[in-house]
Amino acid sequence: MIKVNSLSVRYDNFEALSILSLTIEDGKFHAIMGPNGGGKTTFIKALVGLLPYEGRIEIDGIDHKRYLKKNSIGYLAQRGSQFSQFPITVLEVVEMGRYRFKEPDHTRKNKAFEFLKVFEMENFASKNINELSGGQQQRVLMARALATESKILILDEPLTGMDPKAQSLFYDMIKRIKDDFKLTIIMSSHDVGFISEYADNIICINRELIPHDKSAKVLTCTEVSKLYGPKIGIVEHHHLHSEKDDV
Amino acid sequence: MFEFFTLFFIQRALLIGAVIAIVSGFIGPFILYRKMSFIGVGISHGTFAGIALGILLGVSPLPVAIIFAIGLGIFIGFTSRTGKISEDVSIGILFSFAMALGIFLISLSSGYHTDIMGYLFGDILAISNNDLYLAIGVLGSVVLWYILRSRQMKYMTFDEDFAKIAGVPVGIDYYIFMALISLAIVVIVNFVGVILASSIIIAPAASAKSLAKRFSSIVILSIVLAEVTIFSGIIFSYSLNISSGPSIVFFVTFVFLLSLLAGKIKFIKYTKRNSNSE
Repeated sequence: MIKVNSLSVRYDNFEALSILSLTIEDGKFHAIMGPNGGGKTTFIKALVGLLPYEGRIEIDGIDHKRYLKKNSIGYLAQRGSQFSQFPITVLEVVEMGRYRFKEPDHTRKNKAFEFLKVFEMENFASKNINELSGGQQQRVLMARALATESKILILDEPLTGMDPKAQSLFYDMIKRIKDDFKLTIIMSSHDVGFISEYADNIICINRELIPHDKSAKVLTCTEVSKLYGPKIGIVEHHHLHSEKDDV
Repeated sequence: MFEFFTLFFIQRALLIGAVIAIVSGFIGPFILYRKMSFIGVGISHGTFAGIALGILLGVSPLPVAIIFAIGLGIFIGFTSRTGKISEDVSIGILFSFAMALGIFLISLSSGYHTDIMGYLFGDILAISNNDLYLAIGVLGSVVLWYILRSRQMKYMTFDEDFAKIAGVPVGIDYYIFMALISLAIVVIVNFVGVILASSIIIAPAASAKSLAKRFSSIVILSIVLAEVTIFSGIIFSYSLNISSGPSIVFFVTFVFLLSLLAGKIKFIKYTKRNSNSE
């Protein structure tokens, strides 16, 4: 369980995010929604230890900073800001997630290979990651995040640039690994429709927590307008489903 | 021609050249992929200020240059990691300052210093045994670093944020790397001079990048290309009786241009093969 109390993240004198109190329960899919510049990435970066903050965060009752000294959190950064052109193999990328495990080279490689299998990317193990398509790279980075063996997986707008079918497949994959690995998933997204369908809980952020009806899984028109502005509402539409669902 | 190889100073120059090629081959590709190519220029000019201070104080310039270069390397790293300016900006400001400081200090020292040109453009006749020992010491440090920390450096260079999350001590590794670059630059400055040093560390890696795909191949090819160009430069300079520094830089640049051409040909062939298969 993640507990946040009196969190404040500042860039110089500008307070980018302030959260008085928030509890993130284990084993659920938590979606973070909010406008661009509303503090979603700031919150995520503070959670994974990339941004300094004031206040208190606890993970499983342990102070967050102490927790991060011994544990990694599975993290997938926003697309486009993920990595450089450095020539590194897919297997080496997943091995990064094993850094804290003081294991022999062959064990590390074997474990990394097993995590590639989860995302059906084992045949690409010796390829340079920069030679893969965006979707394939995303799966490798997911394997790397899982390779940390963290029970928390944090994804920052992973669906940017994906078509609806790819998005649907991605959500199916998230659902599958959440159940298989018993993960707590925290993911930022703008997609009201998919989030309503897949997420167990929605956290609305616009530089602070925006209250909404927690008993309903779906955000109402008023709540969406409150979050994104008065001209934004909800249009009903049907999602594409993956081929797996049709079988 | 073979009498050339029997000359002691040439043997020493070839040996130190071989050492520099290995050092550049291990460090250069990381500098390139971290987009820090300008760092060679910054630290070599900082070294000049150290040399000038050594001359002014009447002590051996080498230890002062080492302290200056490492200090400058770590300072550049510190300002770019903790401030809001990029490495390029701090290097751009500091290297002019270091050069100005060097000239100021030299003008303060009494007498005319004929070896200034040697420091600026390199002089293999001026290489001493101490320079060779320093180069071998730096080579040892670089090889040890590569064995112990290259995995962490790869992770950091690929994705520093995730490397940090995964537990890599990115700050410590970064400053160790900056200190090693500084040491390598001091050795190279002794060999080809302040003005020309940065190309020796960057150009072989840039050439190798055009020709090889895997990082390990890029490192090996960087070493090979640096060896070939440095040896060719020394032989060429001896044959035509010109300074060794510019001669080496000619070869390094020539190989870089050839590698660009080879890379372009490779790309055209690859595109043709792909369009034929479609």
